[in-house]
Amino acid sequence: MSLLSVAGVTKRFGGVTANRDISFEVQPGELIGIIGPNGSGKSTLFEIISGFYHPDAGEVRLDGGRLTGLSPDRVCRLGVARTFQKLRPFAGLTVVDNVMVGALTRTHDVRHARARARELLERVGLSEKAEAHARTLSTGQRKRLELARALATEPRILLLDEVTGGVDQRTIPGLVQLVRDLHRDGLTLLVIEHNMRVITAVAQRIVALYLGEKIADGTPDVVTRDRRVVDAYLGQVYTQ
Amino acid sequence: MRDPRPALAFFAVAALAPLVVRDAFLLDGLILILMWGASAAAWNVAGGYAGQLSLGHSAFFGLGAYSAALLGTRWGISPWIGLIVGAVLATAFGFILGFLSNRLRGPYFGLATIAFSQVLLLVASRWRGFTSGSEGIPVPFRPGFWTLGIADKRVWVYLVLVLAVLLYLVEVYLERSRRGYQLAAVREDEDAALSLGVAARRLKVAAIAVSAALTAACGTLWAQYVGFVDPYYVFSVDLSVRFCLAAILGGIGTPLGPFLGAAVITMLETSLRARFGGIGAGLIGIYLIIYGVVLILTMRFAPQGLLPWVGQRLRWRPGLGPTS
Repeated sequence: MSLLSVAGVTKRFGGVTANRDISFEVQPGELIGIIGPNGSGKSTLFEIISGFYHPDAGEVRLDGGRLTGLSPDRVCRLGVARTFQKLRPFAGLTVVDNVMVGALTRTHDVRHARARARELLERVGLSEKAEAHARTLSTGQRKRLELARALATEPRILLLDEVTGGVDQRTIPGLVQLVRDLHRDGLTLLVIEHNMRVITAVAQRIVALYLGEKIADGTPDVVTRDRRVVDAYLGQVYTQ
Repeated sequence: MRDPRPALAFFAVAALAPLVVRDAFLLDGLILILMWGASAAAWNVAGGYAGQLSLGHSAFFGLGAYSAALLGTRWGISPWIGLIVGAVLATAFGFILGFLSNRLRGPYFGLATIAFSQVLLLVASRWRGFTSGSEGIPVPFRPGFWTLGIADKRVWVYLVLVLAVLLYLVEVYLERSRRGYQLAAVREDEDAALSLGVAARRLKVAAIAVSAALTAACGTLWAQYVGFVDPYYVFSVDLSVRFCLAAILGGIGTPLGPFLGAAVITMLETSLRARFGGIGAGLIGIYLIIYGVVLILTMRFAPQGLLPWVGQRLRWRPGLGPTS
């Protein structure tokens, strides 16, 4: 059975249809990329899966259980974690306290949560910043922080909105390696990404959206050669 | 507070003072400092830790004051029972306010809280048959601990000190516990907190309800100490602002901050009034001007409050820091 199933999801904002009848399945252990031009409905889809928006039609299921209609905190506790495109660290808290908030969703023991948070900071390479206030971090470090915080909730599936967006070229390889490692260790990921080089390298499957509709769904090779994807988004056939 | 020594020192001084000090004026000042400190700390649970800036907490203070005064004068019921009744009523009203906080953000919530306290003021001042209306209620003095008829101010110091320490411990809990971390997250960014599995709405409502109940308890003790309940005082916006001001001045979202702020405000107000406010002194009102200037200067040079300001200079961490 698929881990996550998106079935016929439609979301309208007034006259704009941000998502129209979108369906796809995510198998356990998959890393799926979501691509599409700005305004194609990628982030709206994430908001719906994570419970921040409720769709006008269709539903999202996790391991057969319905997520649609639940509040975001319930969705998280059921095992769906996310990061935000526009990063949202708890700026006034320290880095380790940020991650502890995530860990405390799974444990009631503050000391245990702190130990867990430190492990995760080690994992994302932020250990030496543990006691710094989150507002002092660079964009790349904030991305790592959001990742650690989301991982602390022990997700079954992690939604990443723009891993490499807004960070400089030198920072990208480290972040990409981190995502790869998480996937290698068995985590299921759904990743929105604009950087084609990155997404074709890490994703097993790519879902392409355009004007709120799914226009392609398949292996990176197939999707990047798809006529509609090329016309709508890539401009030319993408070759590595 | 990672370092409990300043708090220990503060409460130790308060505990030892009655052994040395006999002067009723000074003891009265100490009682008021602890009373306002406890009230500001109760406000701090909602306003500081949950980030819900209420300007209507006098509603809960008044509920506590009226519950005990009415039960006492009409049915001869102990103010201790009145304290519990007031706290239960305030919890119920706190849930209503908490519900509002999930609908209204920022200034709209603040305005709604003011309206909330003013509605209670109208009820208390117009419902003459039950509350004696705007005349207020004199609380009869019936000697004894059970009736809180205590003439010795030193006993009052210890009574209020127990309340103050209790409130301080509530704040320490909010600093260190799982719920405290979650509240801090909600205060910083509610959506991000939700995305991490924090039941933000429920937590905010609970914090406001607890804050309301504790404020009511302060109201009960205050009314029993002062011996009179005036609707225009206990439900006033002035009083709400006082709670909020003491907490912000001392250090919002810190355990000891509200007590420090209350100490500064109470001492400043009392001494300035005694110095300049006397009838015939020709300077009536000037204490308000000095008071205002001091507050403005403090906010200008220590915007996070006195406790974090002093803390930064002495290099200890006073807590989770300000809401920002």
